[in-house]
Amino acid sequence: MPVIQVNWRDLEKLVGKSLSEEEISQYLPALKCEIEGIVGDEIEYEATHDRPDLFSAEGLARALKGLLELEVGLRKFNVKGISTELPARGPAYRPYVLGAIVRGLDLDEEALKQIMNLQEKLHTTYCRDRRKVSIGLYDLSTVKFPIKYIAVKPEEISFVPLGETEPMTLNEILSRTEKGRMYAHLVRGHDKYPLLIDSEGTVLSFPPIINSEDTKVTENTREVFIDVTGVDLNAVMNVLKVIVTSVAERGKPEVIELVKVTFEDGREVVSPDLSAQEMLFDPNLVERLVGIKLGIDDIRSLLRRMRHEAEPVNDVLKVQVAPYRLDILHQVDLAEDVAMAYGYENIGPEPIPTSHPGSVHPIEKISRKLRDILIGLGFFEVSNYMMSNPDVLVTRMRLKEQRVIEVENPKMEKYTAVRNWLIPGLLETASLNLKLGYPLKLFEIGDVVIVDEREENKTRTERHLACLIISPEETLTNILVVIKAIMKALNVAYTLRESEHPSFIPGRTASIIVDNNSIGILGEIHPEVLMAFEINLPTVCLEINVNDLLRIISY
Amino acid sequence: MLAGAPDAPISLDPKGTENLLLPERQFRIIEVLSKADKKVLEVNELSRQLGTDPSALMRDLAELEAKGLIRTSKRYIIKAKLTEEGEKFVKKGFPEERLLKKLLEVGEEVPLSTIFSQSFRERAELSTDEVKIAINHLIRLRAIRIERGSVKLASKEEIEGILARIRSEREGLRKLRDATLSQVDDTVQFFRRRKLIELREKTILEVGLTDKALEMLERGQIRSGIVVTRLTPELIVSGKWRSAIFKKFDLRVDVPTVYPSRKHPYMELLDDIREILASMGFEEVKGPHVELEFWNFDSLFQAQDHPAREIHDTFYLKFPKRGSVSDKDLLERVKRTHENGWITGSKGWGYKWSPEKALKLILRTQTTAVSMRVIYERGEGEYRCFSLDRVFRPETLDPTHSMEFYQLEGIIVGRRVTFRNLLWFFNEFAKKLGLGWVKIKPAYFPFTEPSVEGFIKHPKLGWIEVFPGGMFRPEVLYPLGVKNCNVAAWGIGIDRIAMAMLEIDDIRDLFSQRIDFLREKPVPIIRSLWR
Repeated sequence: MPVIQVNWRDLEKLVGKSLSEEEISQYLPALKCEIEGIVGDEIEYEATHDRPDLFSAEGLARALKGLLELEVGLRKFNVKGISTELPARGPAYRPYVLGAIVRGLDLDEEALKQIMNLQEKLHTTYCRDRRKVSIGLYDLSTVKFPIKYIAVKPEEISFVPLGETEPMTLNEILSRTEKGRMYAHLVRGHDKYPLLIDSEGTVLSFPPIINSEDTKVTENTREVFIDVTGVDLNAVMNVLKVIVTSVAERGKPEVIELVKVTFEDGREVVSPDLSAQEMLFDPNLVERLVGIKLGIDDIRSLLRRMRHEAEPVNDVLKVQVAPYRLDILHQVDLAEDVAMAYGYENIGPEPIPTSHPGSVHPIEKISRKLRDILIGLGFFEVSNYMMSNPDVLVTRMRLKEQRVIEVENPKMEKYTAVRNWLIPGLLETASLNLKLGYPLKLFEIGDVVIVDEREENKTRTERHLACLIISPEETLTNILVVIKAIMKALNVAYTLRESEHPSFIPGRTASIIVDNNSIGILGEIHPEVLMAFEINLPTVCLEINVNDLLRIISY
Repeated sequence: MLAGAPDAPISLDPKGTENLLLPERQFRIIEVLSKADKKVLEVNELSRQLGTDPSALMRDLAELEAKGLIRTSKRYIIKAKLTEEGEKFVKKGFPEERLLKKLLEVGEEVPLSTIFSQSFRERAELSTDEVKIAINHLIRLRAIRIERGSVKLASKEEIEGILARIRSEREGLRKLRDATLSQVDDTVQFFRRRKLIELREKTILEVGLTDKALEMLERGQIRSGIVVTRLTPELIVSGKWRSAIFKKFDLRVDVPTVYPSRKHPYMELLDDIREILASMGFEEVKGPHVELEFWNFDSLFQAQDHPAREIHDTFYLKFPKRGSVSDKDLLERVKRTHENGWITGSKGWGYKWSPEKALKLILRTQTTAVSMRVIYERGEGEYRCFSLDRVFRPETLDPTHSMEFYQLEGIIVGRRVTFRNLLWFFNEFAKKLGLGWVKIKPAYFPFTEPSVEGFIKHPKLGWIEVFPGGMFRPEVLYPLGVKNCNVAAWGIGIDRIAMAMLEIDDIRDLFSQRIDFLREKPVPIIRSLWR
């Protein structure tokens, strides 16, 4: 979640009222803004992904004005007509561009900082690190309309990038500037790069990499041109709505002018689209979903406090949602706004009677029984991670050909795969505890995952039980005693069938058979395996599929 | 009373109140004393009669005195002991005696040079010093006199008398060997000055029976028993336990620590949590650990380019890579919902949904995938389910992060289920876990609306987020076939709560492989389950 810094005084200026610390700590969390800290005049909070309009002081102030009832209902923006055309002839891999003009701005140092930070927070979140969308702001007085969005060869053009003093070609920008190196992967490999250029040949920016130094916004800037480029027109428009409406809050008052973008295929889009989204809201939804009984007038006024317009039409409310509220997809989102304005702390819990008795899963129930038996036999329970690695699961166990479930993007060498049996993990644990004395008797009951082509997820989870005994004098007898005790306690008849398994000593390993099906294995661990786990003592162990056992018992 | 009288041993004899059962040796002490004159004996005598060393008796005497059966008193005496020289003189005679006898053999007048000569001394068995001492004594006794370098003897009669006197002195010395003296007379002083004897003051302990002991003896109430340190089968079978005296156990002595084989503390806690949920009407459900992105994300209305679906937040599988969904209608419904909201009343996300992406296999990042499968299978109705199993995220294992952890997930499905019911669940569950009041705040999750985050107050960490939840969105429920029911859902990272309850600070310790760590952890107790 993005962490935002705003200045208390600047926020008061935007709200138009002094704000107490109590008001800050009450109303910010009511907008899902979790306060991280207040140091001097700097307030730091964590905003949620769904509310990019709260990523800067402008949008936060607008929302606070509603909650404080200083200004409720829809924020209406002063939008004039179309003042320029923008031909969109960018590269096919980043085809979309939209623009807007905002005049009448009054910017100071803090305002500049907020707008720049908003741009950055949008870039890292909604814009998916500029991959999907990127934003540019320019001092309008430095450019001459019409502006064009074009595709150029990397060496064809050069300009002074933001923060630099020398002109550079596009390729030089990618290798020599910090932003260039950070975002080069978004354009590199294509023969043409996107460029925004004005009618006199002044470069505005090299989207999505960097703006030009010549067109940068300063405290003296009174009018800005804003462009948003990207790979998804809908997302481009959404980002433009958020940035334009936020910048507009710095107007005295603002004047927003539209840009008509013409695409190569003849399509025309007028931006920004600041029309309110209309939505019908059933007031009963508040009771049905949230559980609070409110009259239609109360709901209307709560919606207005959340900066929506709401008018009753028959039994429903016709709601106008502000263009920057990208999170409102459905009536339920309005219901949440009502609940937030009402105050979560005022909602209160309501018990719901149980209609059915609850239950613990049978696999957990049988696991408990097995735990009790194993503990009765003097075994100590351990619990290992399900994540492991092929070295432990396969190589050290002398299983040459087996393929285990591996992840593509492991974070640690030790955890790259999912265990398909428990004994390897148990041996690992045992080797760490040999100094505690003998016999060492450990067991684990846990889930393993087995590749299974018949399943939709190509695997199945199985509950297994494994136990081992280590001491200088272990033979197969000691584990045969254990399986006999377990099966006797569960009243399950079984036989042992001699078998072969690379992890065990030949002639000292067996399958555990119930109704002609193998439900597990036991044996004396092969010395080579023991050496691989640095265990210098004879070890006997068994592993059983608990799902099979459960099926047999509950049959 | 003697010092250090220990606690009395314990007899199991039912008649123990009337009869006094004594360890064998203590009984013998009483017996010996009862036969003694005036029923009093010195300890030395007592021990002699018992055939034991006096020091070995002290503990018994202290116990008997504590029981009021004997009385002890102390007396002081002087003991004489012959020195080495004294012993020699008693055996061989005094030097003057031996010299005089030799002189009688040699003649009436003997030159001193002869007396001091080696040959003479060897025959007389006297050292030079002894010769000197002997001459001095003989002069004093007037047995000899020295004239012109020669020794002259007195008359034979005189010498006989002197020799008799010396013999009686020697006899006197012999009698002082190990003698007990009541006083120190001139003779004793004489021998002491000649360093022939040593004198020592000694304490004599006298032991006597009390009247109580005598009375009890008369009535036959004092009996002999054997002291045992442990009960043996032989004692039980033979009935000897009745006359056995049990040594009292010293409880102050520390004993070795033994560790029971036991359940893993975290697994035990999780089992208790399962019980709590079952008691609240929840049925436990399970789902696969390897999951399709479809169930983990798409069905939850998480857009395909949602950041949680990137490789730094989700483990993608190298093998196997791709799964399938046989219900093609379901895929279609989810696709439409993502793209334009389908019939849910939503705008949708407005992008082109890829079935390829949805079929990729991952390690589930949330057990919410299990809830999705359950709702899909059961559809509308009135039910509550929970799952408590492991989920995975690409994290580097450190004290606060883990690539694998337990999630407690739950749903309440029903026509009249509301957000307030979810708040009730949080409070009720927190109460049962003993976590106190839950503070709630609005929150954001892509699949719930309204969404909420519940905080509990941790004694050390302050308010910590533990209960995220909300009402599943129609975009989630409609494609699964649920149009007329609400679903309250929550997914709790139980590790954090478990760490607080098990007093563990390092998340890795929840899966500790160290037995010596695990066995020291107290058994987790959730008090609400005990009422």
